[in-house]
Amino acid sequence: MIWSIAWKNVWRNKKRSLVVIVAVTLGIISGVLLVGIMEGWVKQRLNDAIYNEVSHIQIHNSEFIKNEEIDLTVRNLAEITRSIDSLQEVSGWVKRTKIIAMANTSWANTGVIIYGVDPEKEKQVTEICKKIVQDGGKYLDVQSPGDIMISDKTAEILKLKQYIITDSIIAKLRAEKVTVNVLTKLETLKDMRFRSPKDFREALRKEFSKKELDRFGLFITDKALDYRIRNKVQITTSDMEGTPIQGIFRVCGIYKTTNTGFDQVSVFINTRELANLYGGNDILTHEIAILLNNIDDAGIVKEKLSRISGDNSVMTWKELAPDAAMMNDFMVMYYFIFIGIIMLALAFGIINTMLMAILERTKELGMLMAIGMNRKRIFKMIMLETIFLTIVGAVAGMLSGWAITEVLGKTGIHFTGWGEGFEAIGFAARVYPILTPQFFIFITIMVILTAIISSIWPARKALKLNPVEALRTE
Amino acid sequence: MKVLELKNVNKIYNSTEVKVHAVNDVTMDFVEAEFAAIVGPSGSGKTTLLNLIGGLDMPTSGEIIIGGTNLSKLKPSQLIDFRLNNIGFVFQSYNLIPVLTAKENVEFIMTLQKWPEKERDERTFELLWAVGLGDRINSRPTKLSGGQQQRVAVARALASKPKFILADEPTANLDSKAATTLLEIMEKLNHESKITFIFSTHDPRVVKMAHRVITLEDGKVISDDIRELPA
Repeated sequence: MIWSIAWKNVWRNKKRSLVVIVAVTLGIISGVLLVGIMEGWVKQRLNDAIYNEVSHIQIHNSEFIKNEEIDLTVRNLAEITRSIDSLQEVSGWVKRTKIIAMANTSWANTGVIIYGVDPEKEKQVTEICKKIVQDGGKYLDVQSPGDIMISDKTAEILKLKQYIITDSIIAKLRAEKVTVNVLTKLETLKDMRFRSPKDFREALRKEFSKKELDRFGLFITDKALDYRIRNKVQITTSDMEGTPIQGIFRVCGIYKTTNTGFDQVSVFINTRELANLYGGNDILTHEIAILLNNIDDAGIVKEKLSRISGDNSVMTWKELAPDAAMMNDFMVMYYFIFIGIIMLALAFGIINTMLMAILERTKELGMLMAIGMNRKRIFKMIMLETIFLTIVGAVAGMLSGWAITEVLGKTGIHFTGWGEGFEAIGFAARVYPILTPQFFIFITIMVILTAIISSIWPARKALKLNPVEALRTE
Repeated sequence: MKVLELKNVNKIYNSTEVKVHAVNDVTMDFVEAEFAAIVGPSGSGKTTLLNLIGGLDMPTSGEIIIGGTNLSKLKPSQLIDFRLNNIGFVFQSYNLIPVLTAKENVEFIMTLQKWPEKERDERTFELLWAVGLGDRINSRPTKLSGGQQQRVAVARALASKPKFILADEPTANLDSKAATTLLEIMEKLNHESKITFIFSTHDPRVVKMAHRVITLEDGKVISDDIRELPA
């Protein structure tokens, strides 16, 4: 019956209880959503780091890690590759040549890392082939000699990315129901070439009102974007003897990952083409990238390969992408900190409500003590009331938070204004919130703990009542 | 058979300025089936005496013995359990649990005593019919009149089969008709169940119906008039 009384007491002052329940609900929704976003970002970063950048394990000459010289290739290559082939945990692996070079166009130059890859084998290990942007050409092809694949960011630096309004683009925009007024204003920018998104946005800002920019700005920018595919890029590096060498490649494709830092320096050339450039008879292997069936096996596989790798350095993704590893490990602490702050704030609201309830019911509590309800039962009743009050809000919050996260997990949340900033540190501008069952277990435990802890003060306050004095109150 | 003994009971309140002798050397016994009223002017110590008898307050000196148990020897937790099993309370302002129905209010005390559900239900119905509320068992206190609420409180007090019932000014908040009905019911239950009823009251109707009238003044018993011994 104490359970029943406690439940009924929650609804005694509906308005006050609902305020607390709504506060708990909103607190939990915000917690669920923010943790979902954070989890989504971390998983995306981890996924991108592994599938676009570092794989699960990499092997290098240990000297190459410190000084990326062309002659510091992987030692005992044949033995190592045989071992990799024999490992059941491995899902795919590739050898890469990795050379530091300077890339030039007629308008600009930048330092790059050239990855000499086997385009087809690379598909087993990375997803770069899936990252070709719209109207950005195609992935490397062994049949097309002299090709280079660069990123959207490198294209921007090398001025191979431009914004241009042509008649055909105006026609496309008209078909997309862009207003006549906007199209008329666009005529003034026709055939002008803008080599950076910043310059193009600035030109648009001068021509259009804020309202027009908000409505059509991104759309026009997207349509006006033009990559100079097949443009020449000159690569300058040095051969095994340190003699400067140069080669001309043509841009075959533009890729874009969520990590601008990686994109900015990484260009891809067919490994055979690269060998022609540095003039070696053999293809140099500076890096072996290994993808595993299960990320958790990285430590075991590292151990196995370290035994036979001699002077080479075997590194897991955690060492290769410490930022992603740190974020992944930090998530649990983030749960504690973030949810802890929310729960602390909620606890004060709950305590306040329950203290009010005790104050209002002093006489009734005095009566209960007088007729023989012992301290244990009074404590239990107040504790149950607090727990019910919290749990109702928590369940509503968790269900709503889960539903919102499910929807956003499919549509994603696009942080338009901060996209460049996020991508500069390896995070996608569009995040897909994720919630794990572990998180729900965690938040349930936190809610129950908060409810129990919040109930102690009001329950102790009730226990301190003197029945004679309590019965005298009005 | 004695259900309650008071031996030289004193209650002194020491405030910073004055010393109040609220109950002054009271010695008396109550036997089974008594219908006793404690009367006296305001401040005469009626409620204090009732609180002492009910184990809600402790005497400064003297002994209160209920069914052979000296209340002063009990620990606070034991005292609560003792009250639950031996003393019924009826308060001036009814003090029912507002979120419970009449039935639930009555059976609540038996739940605390861990009665089996079937026996609990039977006794609840029996008591509510006895106080004339058999047709209002599922009504919440807010849906009952003051007199009806006080009758539920009487049923609740009887539910635990106490040795005696303490009723602190039970008719004070009732109109004349409701008060008379309540008193008649209480007298009938006293007669049938042989449970002792001890009232503190100003109400002349209670005094008129009581079998024993104890008059207090300044904490002292100045008269103890036994009009009729229970049969």
